[in-house]
Amino acid sequence: MRERFKKIWIKIAFIFAVVGPGIIAANADNDAGGITTYSIAGAHFGTKMLWILLLITVSLAVTQEMGVRIGIVTRQGLGGVIREHFGVRWTAFAMLAMLVANIGTVTAEFAGVAASFSIFDISKYITVPLAALAVWFILYKGSFKTTQKIFLVFSAFYIVYIINGFIIRPDFGEAAVSLFTPTIEWTAPFLLTAIALIGTTITPWGQFFIQSYVVDKGLGIKHYKVEKAEVFFGAFLTDIVSFFIIISTAATLYKHGIRITDARDAAIALKPLAGQFAQLLFAFGLFSASMLGAFILPTATSYAICEAFGWESGFNTTWKTGKVFYSIILLTIVVPAAIVLLPNVNMIKIMILSQDVNGMLLPFILIFVMKIINNKEIMGEHVNKPIGNIISWLTIIGILAATVALLVTSFLGYN
Amino acid sequence: MLYLSQILDSKISDSSDKAIGRLRDILIKSKAGIYSSLDFLLVEGKKGKEFCIPFEYVANLSKDEISLKNTFANVKTVIEPKENYIKLKRDVLDQQIVDVGGARVVRVNDLKIGLFENKMSVLGIDVSFKGLLRRVGLAWVDFFDALAIHLIDWRKAQPVKRGALKLDTISQDLTRLHPADLANIVEDLSLRQGSKLMSSLDEDTAAQVVEEMDPEVKKMLVNHLGTEKASKIIDRMSADEIADLLQILSKEEAKDLLSYLQNGKLKKVQKLIKYGKDTAGGIMTADFVTGQPDWTVKHATMEIKKASPAMRSMLYIYITDKEGFFKGSVSLRRLLTAGKDQTMMDMIKRLPSSSTLRTGQKIKEIVSVMTKYNLYTAAVLDDNKKLVGMVTIDDVMRQVFPKA
Repeated sequence: MRERFKKIWIKIAFIFAVVGPGIIAANADNDAGGITTYSIAGAHFGTKMLWILLLITVSLAVTQEMGVRIGIVTRQGLGGVIREHFGVRWTAFAMLAMLVANIGTVTAEFAGVAASFSIFDISKYITVPLAALAVWFILYKGSFKTTQKIFLVFSAFYIVYIINGFIIRPDFGEAAVSLFTPTIEWTAPFLLTAIALIGTTITPWGQFFIQSYVVDKGLGIKHYKVEKAEVFFGAFLTDIVSFFIIISTAATLYKHGIRITDARDAAIALKPLAGQFAQLLFAFGLFSASMLGAFILPTATSYAICEAFGWESGFNTTWKTGKVFYSIILLTIVVPAAIVLLPNVNMIKIMILSQDVNGMLLPFILIFVMKIINNKEIMGEHVNKPIGNIISWLTIIGILAATVALLVTSFLGYN
Repeated sequence: MLYLSQILDSKISDSSDKAIGRLRDILIKSKAGIYSSLDFLLVEGKKGKEFCIPFEYVANLSKDEISLKNTFANVKTVIEPKENYIKLKRDVLDQQIVDVGGARVVRVNDLKIGLFENKMSVLGIDVSFKGLLRRVGLAWVDFFDALAIHLIDWRKAQPVKRGALKLDTISQDLTRLHPADLANIVEDLSLRQGSKLMSSLDEDTAAQVVEEMDPEVKKMLVNHLGTEKASKIIDRMSADEIADLLQILSKEEAKDLLSYLQNGKLKKVQKLIKYGKDTAGGIMTADFVTGQPDWTVKHATMEIKKASPAMRSMLYIYITDKEGFFKGSVSLRRLLTAGKDQTMMDMIKRLPSSSTLRTGQKIKEIVSVMTKYNLYTAAVLDDNKKLVGMVTIDDVMRQVFPKA
């Protein structure tokens, strides 16, 4: 009996050792762009988009699992695998796609910082440069790991959306029906929001991130089952939060016909729970979610590019040998901050559009993932099963179709 | 200047100018330390059929033309050479290699091909940005020729993929690198490649490399190597390093490894492991030579010679009385310059008791003691003032700059 008890403990310890990447990636999915996109989906379209959310939960689980599997088998980041099997041209293409998508996402994070402080009427010309400096100094000098943990804990604030969701007493029956009833409006705003919804949940960077994490942690095939379960759980967790953000905004903003034009509007959704503190709470959540993303993305981007092109990376390199590594990090901090500081840009629009960019670039990254995961020479016996292939291709085709539909409706002028 | 990327996918024609296919790859034999000569051209012929042409049939291999000496009918082609060959495009281009000279891991952007002793051979590995531009067809961007081409000598590179990293092919130069440089390389490689490299080193070198590694990587590597292999390496490490390593492993793994250690070392490790990580007890080493006050120089020299092979470094001999109470130290310099029959007691360097360390002292205090008394090594005493270890300046530096 005691022996058995001990075995169970070993098992639990084993599970805790690998828990992390899926949950972190999932949590970071709900960044500034995420919160805004889900808020808008609910505020502008009610529960109409819930069915998309259900489908992308499955897609997210499947694509993240593929990243885990490639990482475990190849022991290399996605950038490295692409380079070794597709050559320099395709690598340059994939890296450019990722760089653009990630710059977009960091832009959303800084916009999130600006938006959260705009609630207290603090100018973005103060907050954004300060945030950019803080990110750079903590990455360069400070403890990345501790900071990451702090913001990870802070960003667990989404739980308030779940509590809030119950306080509102929304029509769960209606929500359940929407989950299984595909509704599409053939208008540019609907399609833009739908693509952003996909692009903020399944992200190019998430695909790179999960794979690097598995490689860095040195996970092997014996960890696969636990890791798979964790990734599935992570996907479920992130989208439970998204679900509650959408029904919260649907039950408050959509019901009263309020459209989100700044962060104050989005904060209204938290009123049932937090009353007069809703704005404070929302600002705090948005800020920490933004900062978490702003910390992870520049480094992740730089590591991936350096791995693919064989440049030296890591914060223990000197300025001279790690020139490219540091330059890419600076680029992915400075350019986004500069975009946010342009006069007369709307922070909410920036956050949504950046997620659209992510969504539109995602198929290209996923196609590489599909080519790799179905290559017997790389994956051996761990190639994809048909069900994984079907779901992934449907995701790719779905986004491409939505993008084409968006272009067509925009040209035809249905607004 | 000829590069692999400039000839890949070019047309190949025979002596009658008839096109016979396109060049898809080049086969070489892998051997460390030489410029590998080109052995076969892998050609994709009509209808997509692939075959190999032995290199002796090649008349001209250049950017503008690849031609054969004979007509195609007279060329003995091979479908798949029997021996193990490395394919330059498949196995080397775009892969990671260890740049032995620079002690780092880089990616192969292109390969330089040229004549060596009258044979077309692989001469160098282009790892520069210009190589990347050439690959994507943008070499013309650099029309002022401002970008330097950085070539690594083919003989000084070590491929790491497809089983190319084997004991018999591993370059001699690689094993001659300093353990700290090797540790950096292992950290740069993926876990699987890193442990392969580790396995190819002799256990003494491997032990020193493990000591130099980042704790996180160290932990993963030990897990990946498996207890048996890891224990062999660990057995060669110094007791304090083993104690440090065991502290970052899980209890189960630590127990497992401990059971493999030799008795003498096991005792030392167990003694060290009970001290806190960042205290004098935690960073001190138990590898040092002790002597008795009545020893003569001759006696001491003999003892030092005996103990030396097991020690990483040695600067002093520490004098204790019969009960193990610390008396002082004698430097090797003092020993060298003294007369043969002088005793330790005559030469002992007496330092104030504040120049020795207590096991519980923190790094800041250690640094201040060592700085104040200009010590390269400081003796560590337990609560009963018995000598239990010594802290070297090296141990301190690693605490202060863990990243280096």
